[in-house]
Amino acid sequence: MSDEKTIICRCEEVSLKTINDTVYQYSCSSREVKLRTRAGMGYCGGRTCRHVIDTIVADLNQKVITDDIQLSYRPPVRPITFGALGGVYHENESC
Amino acid sequence: MLNLLIIGAGPAGLKAAIAAAEQGLNVKVIDEFPKVGGRLLGQLHQEPNGEWWNGMEMGEKLHQKAIRAGVDIQCEVSVVDISQSVSGWTVYTSQGMIEARKLLLATGATETPIPIPGWTLPGVMSIGAAQVMGNVHRVKPGNTCVIIGANVLSMAIANELRLCGIKVKEIVLPAVGPISKDAGIPEKVLASLMKLTHLAPTVILRQAGKLGKFINPSFAIKYFPRRGIKLFGIPIRLKTAAVEIMGEDHVTGVQTVTISSDGKVIPGSEKVTEADFVCIAGGLAPMSELASIVGCSFKYVQELGGHVPVHNERMQTNVPNLFVAGNITGVESAKVAMAQGKVAGLAIASEWKGKRQEIELALTTAMEEVRKTRAEALIQFQPGISEARDTVYHQFTLDELRMKQEVSVS
Repeated sequence: MSDEKTIICRCEEVSLKTINDTVYQYSCSSREVKLRTRAGMGYCGGRTCRHVIDTIVADLNQKVITDDIQLSYRPPVRPITFGALGGVYHENESC
Repeated sequence: MLNLLIIGAGPAGLKAAIAAAEQGLNVKVIDEFPKVGGRLLGQLHQEPNGEWWNGMEMGEKLHQKAIRAGVDIQCEVSVVDISQSVSGWTVYTSQGMIEARKLLLATGATETPIPIPGWTLPGVMSIGAAQVMGNVHRVKPGNTCVIIGANVLSMAIANELRLCGIKVKEIVLPAVGPISKDAGIPEKVLASLMKLTHLAPTVILRQAGKLGKFINPSFAIKYFPRRGIKLFGIPIRLKTAAVEIMGEDHVTGVQTVTISSDGKVIPGSEKVTEADFVCIAGGLAPMSELASIVGCSFKYVQELGGHVPVHNERMQTNVPNLFVAGNITGVESAKVAMAQGKVAGLAIASEWKGKRQEIELALTTAMEEVRKTRAEALIQFQPGISEARDTVYHQFTLDELRMKQEVSVS
């Protein structure tokens, strides 16, 4: 399977190859992979790929996944309009 | 201010709402989906006794019961943030702010993808998405499909898609690798399917399951036909792996290879199966985002699907006035989620009313019901659930002790 053609983070278009290379070069955590590659930092906030990133990085580092959550969640946990964030709500303007 | 706000109108959230409202609490339930019922909405399968489990009907029953109990339910509301104040919780949503004294997170689970080349093409979806399109929205996702990933969820949904009039061409494994792990190794997949004897979809699998008690799966897989076995007319090909999803601007098919029992590719076995949509069944993981932003501590338990907020058997977390129920506490069947919801609702009511004896009694019965439901569960997503749960409860006790010590030291 071509690692270059395997997209892990769809929002930021980060490939498996980029993640592999980053871990090999910096022998780093999934958090560092996120900061270096932007994987998990896109529009969806890592909702789609965070488990995959954790799995790949744990596997490459030959470590078990820890009890602490590596890729932290930060509010807003859903994409939201500035209007809704500021307290203005309209019909048909779901977040 | 509400007595209780429940996030998630699925089996756990609705059951909790009913239990708490029946004890006189003022309860509101919110959900981001347009319909009440959560993942109950998609479920339709036949049980071993021949009865059909119709999740949509069950969801509607719970919905009506909740309304009769005086519960306020609002759909299409997404929670974006939560903060805690001295008087309780402030929940920020896409539709404004909600305040409540007690909070129950019943947000369920989320699907994990298995990325392979081409999975970002239009026409590729998670198995759960195909289920929602077919069973909830009554829209056929396509006419022909290939399912990547052979597990209890994909088998059940394959049959639902068939009932929708879709031709499911085959169920294959994802290629072996760091993401698919055991899900890409035929021997391991067969071992996990063999544990589902009572659910085992065909006579062949059922036989394999019975034999499995005596025969090692690594032996049984050798005799598993390369062409696969059929379940409701759908070929399950445990020795075929998907390596790429084909298509320019939409899915046209899946490129597969034949693999050995341990997942190694057999050279020259490439083949393309045409399909107009592809489902990826990568399994489920508890949806922990809200528990994380309110400061719950977590435990990683593989049998439960990933990180679960630490809680006790009363569904209480180590954050005061915060409870959890359903698949956020570990991936299990809807029946277990319902039983857990009742426990959470009663535990919250009990705390509210100063642990009155009759509620505590009902709570004890409800906790017993969870254990019973789990033991009888037809869909065991993973083996060793009960033992795994004990480790979470144990962690709760440890955390509680540690917090008490910290308080007494300071």
